[in-house]
Amino acid sequence: MSPFSYIVINLARQIRPHEITFSGVNSTLPMLACLLAKRAYDFHFTYINVAGGVEPQPRKIPHSSSDPAIVAGSAAIFANEDFYDLCARGGMDLAYLGCAQIDAEGRTNVSAIGSWHEPKVRLPGGGGAAVMLPTAKRIVTWRTEHSPRTLVDKLDFVTAAGNLAALITPIAVFQRRNGRLALESWHPQSSLEEVVKRTGFKFDANGAGPTQEASSRERDALRELDPAFAFENEAAIKAA
Amino acid sequence: MTLVAGLRAASYGIPFQPVGGVFGSDLAQINDWKTVADPYTGKEVYVIPAIRPDVAVIHVNEVDELGNARVYGTPFWDHPVTRAAKRVLITAERLVPTDVLRLQPELTLVPAFMVEAVAIAPNGAWPGSMHPLYEIDYLAVERYMRDEPSGLEAHLEVAPEASLVSA
Repeated sequence: MSPFSYIVINLARQIRPHEITFSGVNSTLPMLACLLAKRAYDFHFTYINVAGGVEPQPRKIPHSSSDPAIVAGSAAIFANEDFYDLCARGGMDLAYLGCAQIDAEGRTNVSAIGSWHEPKVRLPGGGGAAVMLPTAKRIVTWRTEHSPRTLVDKLDFVTAAGNLAALITPIAVFQRRNGRLALESWHPQSSLEEVVKRTGFKFDANGAGPTQEASSRERDALRELDPAFAFENEAAIKAA
Repeated sequence: MTLVAGLRAASYGIPFQPVGGVFGSDLAQINDWKTVADPYTGKEVYVIPAIRPDVAVIHVNEVDELGNARVYGTPFWDHPVTRAAKRVLITAERLVPTDVLRLQPELTLVPAFMVEAVAIAPNGAWPGSMHPLYEIDYLAVERYMRDEPSGLEAHLEVAPEASLVSA
């Protein structure tokens, strides 16, 4: 599995039958994961997205996860107020939310690197994360860079804290257990030692092993979604 | 969502709006958000002060000469923003007769009495998209995002709204 396909497939694997699942802005990988799950898995789940789509059937997959093209084929529009309210009242089963930094408790920073008042890097902000992390049943996040500066012991700023359930990187899958991120599995070409070395916080690795390889259906679905490797080349995710 | 809570408070005409979550976020301290006790259960909840924008400007598909504004597809934040603001300005892809809007009044997102002024700006959402008329112009967005001093000028040279001004 390439770093790109590893993240997309493992994001898709977080979806459970009958869930209401959401992908937001700047979330190409979760958008592809939801569309992949629709093709590769036999169970039903509801896919809604930030452009207002409900169970969309897009003829082409847009470059941006907030492009109205990802609404095509929807029989209903469920726009911004609706999906945020759904989350706030406890009706969102699984939402994918990005982060720049994440700590061992699954808290996220999307606000600033350095001090908030004089940041080294000003980040785009939570986009509702401070409300969604505590109110969604499960939040799954991903990082295309797995390093001690992204998986940190201490966040520069806590944008959101709450029901983070899983973290996917190019080399590892973490699940939150007893309030802390625990290693579930590592990329078959990586190792526990590498994950430890590249993670800024201490974690439990009890029961962890190599991640299950992609099934042929997962592989085929991803190929169908990204036949010319356009998404994969643009994401340019490195394993090392 | 906290932003929307503030806009909702303004549209409801109330001083603040309770909102879910927020606990554990440093944003509360940065923004000086307070909690209050739910008077019925005693449970603490964050309340966001009203945000009342001076002006809301939205781009819509169709407008009539009175200012009734119709939006196709996803309305994103158009509804809360137009209700919260003191003044509403509309830009539109095209002008249509009021009789056309009367056929499906439920598609009118902003009624004319709320609208102060209207401008017709075909392709006015460029380089963004306008459902169902045109899609995002990704190449133009990428050009616009380049950090070059000439970037804005180059953008304005081909921007549809700029050509309307000079014409």
